[in-house]
Amino acid sequence: MRLHQSITTLALLIAAATQVTAADAPKPAQLNVYPADVQLTTVRDRQSLIVQAEYSDGITRDVTAEAKFALANGDLARLEKNVLYPKADGAAELTIEYAGLSVKVPVEVQRATEDPPISFKLDVMPVFMKSGCNTGSCHGAASGKDGFRLSLFGFDSNGDHHRLTREMPGRRINLAIPEASLLMEKTNGVVPHTGGKRYDMDSEYADTLLRWLRVGAPQDQGEVPKVVAVEIYPKGAVLDGEGATQQINVRAKYSDGTDRDVTSMAYFLSNNDNSAPIEQNGVVTAAKRGESFIMARFETYTVGTHFIVLPKGLDFKWNEVAANNYVDELMYDKFQKLRIQPSELCTDEEFMRRVYLDVVGVLPSVEQYHAFLNDADPKKRDNLVDNLLGRKEFVEMWVMKWAELLQVRTTRSIAYKPMLRYYNWIQERIASNMPMDQLVQELLGASGGTFENAATNYYQMEGDPKKVAENVAQVFMGMRIQCAQCHNHPLDRWTMDDYYSFAAFFSQIGRKSGEDPREQIIFNSGGGEVTHPVGGRRMAPKFLGGEVPDVAGKDRRVVMANWLASPENPYFAKNLANIVWNHFLGQGIINEVDDVRVSNPPVNAELIDALGQKFTGYKYDFKKLVRDICTSRTYQLSTATNDTNATDTKNFSHASLRRIRAEILLDLISQVTDTKNKFGGLPLGARAVQIANGNTSTYFLTTFGRAQRATVCACEVKVEPNLSQALHLLNGDTLQSKVGQGNLIGKRLEEKVAPEQIVEELYIRCLTRRPTEKEKNELNAVLAKVEDKKQVLEDVFWALLNAREFVFNH
Amino acid sequence: MKRRDFLHVGFAGGIGLTLADFFRIKEAQGAQKFYESKEGPAKSVIFIYMPGGMCHQETFDPKPYAPIEYRGPMNSIQTNVEGVRVNETWKQTATVADKLAICRSMTHGEAAHERGTHNMFTGYRPSPALIFPSMGSVVAHEFGPRNDLPQYVCVPNQPNQFAGTGFLSSSYAGFSLGADPASKGFKVRDLNLPGGVDEGRFTTRRRILDVVNDHFQAKEKSDSLDAVDTFYNRAYAMISSQKAREAFDIEKEDGKIRDEYGRGTAGSRLLLCRRLVESGVRFVTTTYGGWDMHGNINGAIRGQVPQFDQAFATLVRDLDRRGLLDSTLIAIASEFGRTPKINGNAGRDHWPKVFSVVLAGGGIKKGIVYGSSNSIASEPEESALTVEDWATTIYSRLGIVADKELVAPGDRPIEIVKGGKVRKELIV
Repeated sequence: MRLHQSITTLALLIAAATQVTAADAPKPAQLNVYPADVQLTTVRDRQSLIVQAEYSDGITRDVTAEAKFALANGDLARLEKNVLYPKADGAAELTIEYAGLSVKVPVEVQRATEDPPISFKLDVMPVFMKSGCNTGSCHGAASGKDGFRLSLFGFDSNGDHHRLTREMPGRRINLAIPEASLLMEKTNGVVPHTGGKRYDMDSEYADTLLRWLRVGAPQDQGEVPKVVAVEIYPKGAVLDGEGATQQINVRAKYSDGTDRDVTSMAYFLSNNDNSAPIEQNGVVTAAKRGESFIMARFETYTVGTHFIVLPKGLDFKWNEVAANNYVDELMYDKFQKLRIQPSELCTDEEFMRRVYLDVVGVLPSVEQYHAFLNDADPKKRDNLVDNLLGRKEFVEMWVMKWAELLQVRTTRSIAYKPMLRYYNWIQERIASNMPMDQLVQELLGASGGTFENAATNYYQMEGDPKKVAENVAQVFMGMRIQCAQCHNHPLDRWTMDDYYSFAAFFSQIGRKSGEDPREQIIFNSGGGEVTHPVGGRRMAPKFLGGEVPDVAGKDRRVVMANWLASPENPYFAKNLANIVWNHFLGQGIINEVDDVRVSNPPVNAELIDALGQKFTGYKYDFKKLVRDICTSRTYQLSTATNDTNATDTKNFSHASLRRIRAEILLDLISQVTDTKNKFGGLPLGARAVQIANGNTSTYFLTTFGRAQRATVCACEVKVEPNLSQALHLLNGDTLQSKVGQGNLIGKRLEEKVAPEQIVEELYIRCLTRRPTEKEKNELNAVLAKVEDKKQVLEDVFWALLNAREFVFNH
Repeated sequence: MKRRDFLHVGFAGGIGLTLADFFRIKEAQGAQKFYESKEGPAKSVIFIYMPGGMCHQETFDPKPYAPIEYRGPMNSIQTNVEGVRVNETWKQTATVADKLAICRSMTHGEAAHERGTHNMFTGYRPSPALIFPSMGSVVAHEFGPRNDLPQYVCVPNQPNQFAGTGFLSSSYAGFSLGADPASKGFKVRDLNLPGGVDEGRFTTRRRILDVVNDHFQAKEKSDSLDAVDTFYNRAYAMISSQKAREAFDIEKEDGKIRDEYGRGTAGSRLLLCRRLVESGVRFVTTTYGGWDMHGNINGAIRGQVPQFDQAFATLVRDLDRRGLLDSTLIAIASEFGRTPKINGNAGRDHWPKVFSVVLAGGGIKKGIVYGSSNSIASEPEESALTVEDWATTIYSRLGIVADKELVAPGDRPIEIVKGGKVRKELIV
């Protein structure tokens, strides 16, 4: 009973007519007609069109019902409202008029009288998808449901045909009386069905199944055209007020050059039903203000279009704000569509703390604080970014991040020595600012001993070629393709074919022991293939979403690496840019950064494209990318919101709070208390950020969520709070002993610094700001009461380190 | 409830997107299965884990009539349930068998320690694609805290990676004591004020902290900020609630009771478990011993069991005396059993095909043996108990419908346990 939406009949309901008639309607700035061309092939074909008026303020309306359709040659096709049916072969033009605007659509009709035979793959299989029969919660489950199994989202149509027709002969289908087939009776609710009634007997779906049964439930013979693209229309919409509707139109293109209106066959979803729910007939109805990604799933394709819903008659005036660079410009475009105004610029103090924490992971000293605040140069923020980018802590930060992505840690098969060499390998490259494409190519194409060419340790983390392929896709392309190991990805384009042919790049990794038992040698074994679990086909290596390269006589990994880290791969630059963005803004433009998929669209597609292009243009010099981000006004916004952006949590219209990650938090505590740490394998005083091994930790680091690097998941770094963290900061030895050991208060009191001055220094050290008047007064009151000044000042220090303002970057 | 809400909204947030809508997204992808969790007969669980793979033959499933190479070197004794025998070292447990449900037909296919452990803690086979949450974390996710105490506590520490939060937020992690209750001067880590800080000074500190926090809290609004506040408030409540603190203080227990449990590792841990569930903790996980007995099983059992036997039997009696047995579910589990035949080192090796687990109290039938293994304890003979059904049955006692779906990364709805059934014969 999991699919509540009942599949309604499919007459292409046109969106409810509005009160405004075409004649007195305000003139739109533009008229969009979808699709832009019509191709009708065979008597069973048809094509619906939708007409969208786009106004100068960006608002769109579905005017299909009010628009006038006129076909130049009525002998060619029949027009019923907005749907064209073929009559005779030929070409003509369809003119659509609305509010004085008109659009012409070319119409072509071929094989108008031919009635094609029913196809199991092309006609019947989509019914199971549309009706929800083969979802994971129904018959698509690995073990089926109630004794009947279909392949999940139809990845194995041959198997499905077998199960329907041969698995239990005579039970599921009845060729003598097709209507009495269990298949029909279950889905029509004639007999009890756990999944309930899926569609009516007089629906297009029942009709398709019956046609198939009447001709003997055949399997397709020979080559069947494949879907090569699925289009969804309109290309975005901005709906004005609750109740506004928009019909969605979906068209599939096939490998034989034909296309098909599959609006009635597509399964629709919305990623935000609160703003723009969609019915299974493809009608989106505006609800509450917000954004929504409307998706249609057909065959192995999921395609989407972006919807914005605004309150009716919203009073909004965009206040022009200067853009620092392209980042801001692209942000402003989106903000204007959403009718939100970004927050004000943050203060110099806020900026200073933020940029120090993000770029170098340390806090500014008291001297640096004063110098920056007193600097009158209008370019001082940009200068500070440049200055910080040159510091060694910037390198250390990114070495740590890469060490996480590349899982630098000791394991059963990786001893300390090769692990350390691997870490140093990364360190040397980041320190010399090696272009990222080069680094990744060197890494993934690496051969040799894990001592002598430490990059080869990458292949020691994981031995299973499938798992290596998954890791590579997740880290360097941001994609989780795991799903496709067992079934076609339900919410993305990846099929099992894609999965296994990508895994084939990693099927020829040879491994042998070096002279030193701790060393392994990674080489190209030149043999070994990956086979598809359904049917056992041997899969030729194929780039994910790309072509089948020539790998004969070559190291497959080198071929793959040279494609992966290059502009040929559309995901690489964007993915790294998104990882960098995520570090500085707290969440990805695609979020999570390693969950790139069609159904998880970027909040600002133009921005992620631009960042990817810039990064490529910079020859993968990621310092330049960091500079673009940190000098943008978007990065420098205040956390304070205004009326228009208070509820925005994903469009970056204001800064957001981010809990500081474990390593940096410990480093900050040590820095402000003037104390040193000793971590395994590092000299006294080294920073937690510099720990090479994922397995080296302390109670503090573990409790605050340091990544163990056991997986490539970005989720390993945890910043969620828990009880142990609160208890540790309140009662634990970290703060207690560090405040004592550093003895900052004792020293200042010896230097005869006034307690109020000490409080101010502590504030600047910990929070990069002076105490407010209110804070001064209240703290002075406490200071006055307690005799033991050292003790009470240490309590202030303790409180500052426990303060939310300290543990968050803001 | 409140806590669960903000923890989710954190990543579901966005214009017009609330928690409820977040769930509706799932619905669109095939209707997320949702059931409200309501307290069941078991208000708490004491989950006793025997790491290493506890042999079934020398514990709860002796085979006195099997040939010597299967039977092993040890004898069995009669329990207080007619016809039910246990290994000879379990003398005291034999006297409370009428309160237990001994399951002799637990089965799965994972002969590696970590994979078997994963099964027993999560109710799932290990998956390459996903890390599953442990039962304790699921309980913390489904129910709020009681009497200022954390919902899920690990005695003394989280025993292994599978006892963690899996794909759930790390906020649902078990609270680790950080010290063993059997050790001298045992203190829960960070629960007590540090040396040199008395309550008066702590009050001053809190006042100063409030001053410092005021400014920021007036200025900022964020789910993640609220989340930190929540845990600080819980920490304050725990530090300042004498009752909550005393739940962790084994010294507060009567000396006679301590002796009855035994003052060793087993006795101290199980006694602390009782104190915790009595005070309001919902799920306590503890471990005892090392059970990977590849050699000299006779010596290993004789060395290890008596202490635990005493502690466990006392736990059952003690809970019963306090009227808490019916609301406290006790479980003894291990990653697998051990090979039917004694090996060349007089030990037994890994054997997941059949092994024994014990359930008691909290809505579980009393004095029964559930399922059986065959004559040489190599395979289940009756009522093979699967990992899914094991977990589902435990969840059901707590009032959690294990078919409920939680949200894993990638907006993937994942059942708490996939396809598990409640074993009706086990429950009251």
